[in-house]
Amino acid sequence: MNGAGMNEGYVNENFVNEGCVLEAREIVKSFGSTPALRGASVAVGRGEILAVMGPSGSGKSTLLHCLAGILVPDGGQVLFGGQRLDTMKENPRSALRRDKFGFVFQFGQLVPELTAEENVALPLLLAGARRAEAVRKARAWFPRLGLDGLERNRSGEMSGGEAQRVALARGLVADPEVLFADEPTGSLDSLAGERVMDLLTTAARDQGTTVVLVTHEPRVAAYADREIIVRDGVVTTTPAAPAAAAAAASGTGRGGS
Amino acid sequence: MIRLAVRLTLNGGREAVTRLVITAVAVALGVGLLLAVLAADNAIGVQNLRTGWFQATGSTGSNVTRSINGTSRTQVSSRTPPASAPKASPEWWLSSYDEYNNQQIERVDVAALGPHAPVPPGITRLPGPGQYYASPALAALLRSVPAGQLADRYPGRLIGTIGPAALQSPGSLVIFVGRTPAQVARAPGAVRVTSIAIGFAPPDSGEGIAAVLGIVAIALLFPVLVFISTATRLAAARREQRFAAMRLAGATPRQVSVVATVEAAIAAIAGTAAGFALFFGFRSELARIPFSGQPFFPDDLRLSLPTIVVVALGIPVAAAVVAHVALRRVRISPLGTARRVRARRPSAWRTLPLLAGIGELIYFTAVGHPTTVKGQLWAYLGGGALTVAGLVIAGPWLTMAGSALLAGRASRPAGLLAARRLADDPKGAFRAISGLILAVFTATVAVGIISSMTENHALQTFGAAGRHILIAGLTGPRNLQDPNAAPGGVTVPASVTGRLLAVPGVSSVVVSHVPPAGTTADNLVDCGQLARLPVLGSCAPGASVAAFDLQPVGSTPGTRRTRVWPTVSISAARVDRLPASGLLVGTNGATATLEQARTIIETSFPLQASPVTVFDSQGQQLLAAWEQLAEVVILAGLPIAGCSLAVGVIAGLTDRKRPFSLLRLAGAPVGLLRRVVALESSVPLLAVAIVSAALGLLVAELFLNSQLGLNLRPPGPAYYGYVAGGVLLTLGIIAATFPLLSRVTGPEAARSE
Repeated sequence: MNGAGMNEGYVNENFVNEGCVLEAREIVKSFGSTPALRGASVAVGRGEILAVMGPSGSGKSTLLHCLAGILVPDGGQVLFGGQRLDTMKENPRSALRRDKFGFVFQFGQLVPELTAEENVALPLLLAGARRAEAVRKARAWFPRLGLDGLERNRSGEMSGGEAQRVALARGLVADPEVLFADEPTGSLDSLAGERVMDLLTTAARDQGTTVVLVTHEPRVAAYADREIIVRDGVVTTTPAAPAAAAAAASGTGRGGS
Repeated sequence: MIRLAVRLTLNGGREAVTRLVITAVAVALGVGLLLAVLAADNAIGVQNLRTGWFQATGSTGSNVTRSINGTSRTQVSSRTPPASAPKASPEWWLSSYDEYNNQQIERVDVAALGPHAPVPPGITRLPGPGQYYASPALAALLRSVPAGQLADRYPGRLIGTIGPAALQSPGSLVIFVGRTPAQVARAPGAVRVTSIAIGFAPPDSGEGIAAVLGIVAIALLFPVLVFISTATRLAAARREQRFAAMRLAGATPRQVSVVATVEAAIAAIAGTAAGFALFFGFRSELARIPFSGQPFFPDDLRLSLPTIVVVALGIPVAAAVVAHVALRRVRISPLGTARRVRARRPSAWRTLPLLAGIGELIYFTAVGHPTTVKGQLWAYLGGGALTVAGLVIAGPWLTMAGSALLAGRASRPAGLLAARRLADDPKGAFRAISGLILAVFTATVAVGIISSMTENHALQTFGAAGRHILIAGLTGPRNLQDPNAAPGGVTVPASVTGRLLAVPGVSSVVVSHVPPAGTTADNLVDCGQLARLPVLGSCAPGASVAAFDLQPVGSTPGTRRTRVWPTVSISAARVDRLPASGLLVGTNGATATLEQARTIIETSFPLQASPVTVFDSQGQQLLAAWEQLAEVVILAGLPIAGCSLAVGVIAGLTDRKRPFSLLRLAGAPVGLLRRVVALESSVPLLAVAIVSAALGLLVAELFLNSQLGLNLRPPGPAYYGYVAGGVLLTLGIIAATFPLLSRVTGPEAARSE
């Protein structure tokens, strides 16, 4: 699998036996005349937590968006469970995102008019579940994430950490195969960020959910099974500078690879 | 600081420019509509001013002895008109209303008594005997319909068309017929005039028209003003976030306030200028809309200088003030609107004025209306005003209650999202449609009352056959020695009745007669003839002659069909020898039949009042015009509310750009977001339209019941057509925002946030 032309750190051998769930092969993506990815390749094993790191503007979020079927690459292939995502039409891609993927972003993802439990239930409602059933499943996540008593609150009535945990519950409630998290702790202080990451990794491991985590914080990346670094649109495992490597090594997470 | 604010507004990046353009476009639409309403209101008044000449001043003011339907031959104005010819010779002048296919024709028979006889507006000289001038619309009609149905009524030949100065509207049917002085002088109702007044409204129309136009203007202005106010608040949340960021960066509240005020004012100034351009650009098209049943001349849609000044200055100033007030929250905290909390919920107390308004109207229905006119005016206007104000006040609470109910029951995400959005900000959701209430409510009350009055009066009096019977009042020549002496009748030759009966579709002809001296009846009728038109009532069994009333619409409805006319002890043979006072022709109601019979009567008895049916009386036409005006209010009010809603939708989309685009990233189809937008805008729109219309009909029913003793009849199909058309247009406007929805929630939008 780690053939010619593939980027360094293409696959985690520990997860090869579990099967590769998501794979990017030599993908290229430009915005206008600005190249974001110049042949990035990566494979994510089933149940693996992969941290995508890199400096600002390196193309890490673009890689996540291509892996999630949000953006269509200009070249290369994206495969999910052997299916080509890059050639899929928008409607089936939307359906795939809805049914198989979950998302957690940095901020602003909760619909402000809905209560916390309705926000969590939204993916199930979108998938066609009955409202009572969707809300029942959604409520089950509140004690797990330490959100007891906040079921009826709106996003404006919660702290940033609470809102992010609600978003995490929403990302996981439909039992997705892959959870994409783009700077999930970016707008939180370190304590709240650690709490969110603890809950995210625990819940993902409990459910066997694959996680693709974009972050620029080594402490957050340390929660992952494996780290890759995107630099100048290409995937590598080599840190950009000794300082960054040292920072990554001193991470407090439990899941460092 | 102002310079910085201008630079931020004009060079603040693509988003700032887009916001500026969208706000300016919305304000332009609002200002265009506002100017259209003001100009149309003005134009109806201007139209009315051009009708004054018709009722020229007479020096021998003879009154009409037998007027039909209030279609008096001449009304002598009590006003002193401006002299159009200081040393003019007099002329004989006979103005009357003629008709063709329910369209009114203003007819003037004139005969000059000297070389300087005054010339009415719109023509350069008086027509001589055997000549006539017709308005362009009438000239076209004369060419297009068979002469036996219209042109034969006017002796002679067409020598020119009448100019706009004499015409209420481009579609007005007006004719000046030249006669000899001898012909006109003996005609009942003819007057000698030495001057013709121009530029004043008919004396009997002033207050009524002013009141109706006032209500129409308010009913249309309210939604327009709501629209403009919504437009200036476009994307308020995004703007407030930006201002909050400025506060964080160290801007003082005063500096932020200046920026906000300048930004709103620039958008409003650009929008107002574009609105004026829009109005003048589409003035000709606007003039074609028959607001009061007749289109306008484009020049009628003019704006007075005070109107121009007030709109041109008022809108930008108001926009700046609104922006200034709306930013108080941001001035308090640099965190601005970053934290969203639940707004205070509207209280149920808001329904009290509405309940009080309806209660008052029910009270007067139950216990009877006040005895004085002033008391009645206060009771009904007060009740109506309280009801409509109550509806506006109760609206947010009703919106909240309805959406909470909807949210509780919604099983699909679109319903849930829409209902929660409405419940979250019921005041904001209701604001966009509040303008609609006044338009729909006022127009529905008017349509309900007018159509019930028309239908009840005419149908209860005659039934549907009322539309088919042609009634002609006939008056003998005037006694020139004693103009005030009551004129006698005329002789109806057998050839005339024969010609009438020969018209295909004419079933019967009844002649009424002038009673002999000493008889108290107004008219006498041969019972044998009356039996051929049973819809007019009947004689007592065995009677041969009865007293009869020619007035087609009696003051007490509901009695005509079953009426038994009082017997008069006079022989039928003697009655038949008496001069005729009127002709009643039973027809099948076909236009060709009615107009051919009307033409035969007019040519057989020239210079008499034109025969009428119940439904084409002047009063009925006026009511029909008001009804159309009310329906136009609905048709215009709904799309204006639709524009407000569309602006509300755009504002809502801009404010929720991020959660919506992230929802799409997470796999929510764009169709779902479309359904959310459609639901959250169309549900309150339809609910408010239905509630306002229902309340309007209830108020109309209560008024009719207690004041006129009539029952409400459902409005005609035209009303429903206008409502349905308005709703469809509005939904179309809302749907026009959907492409924006796809664009602002696309993946790129989420990435660029």
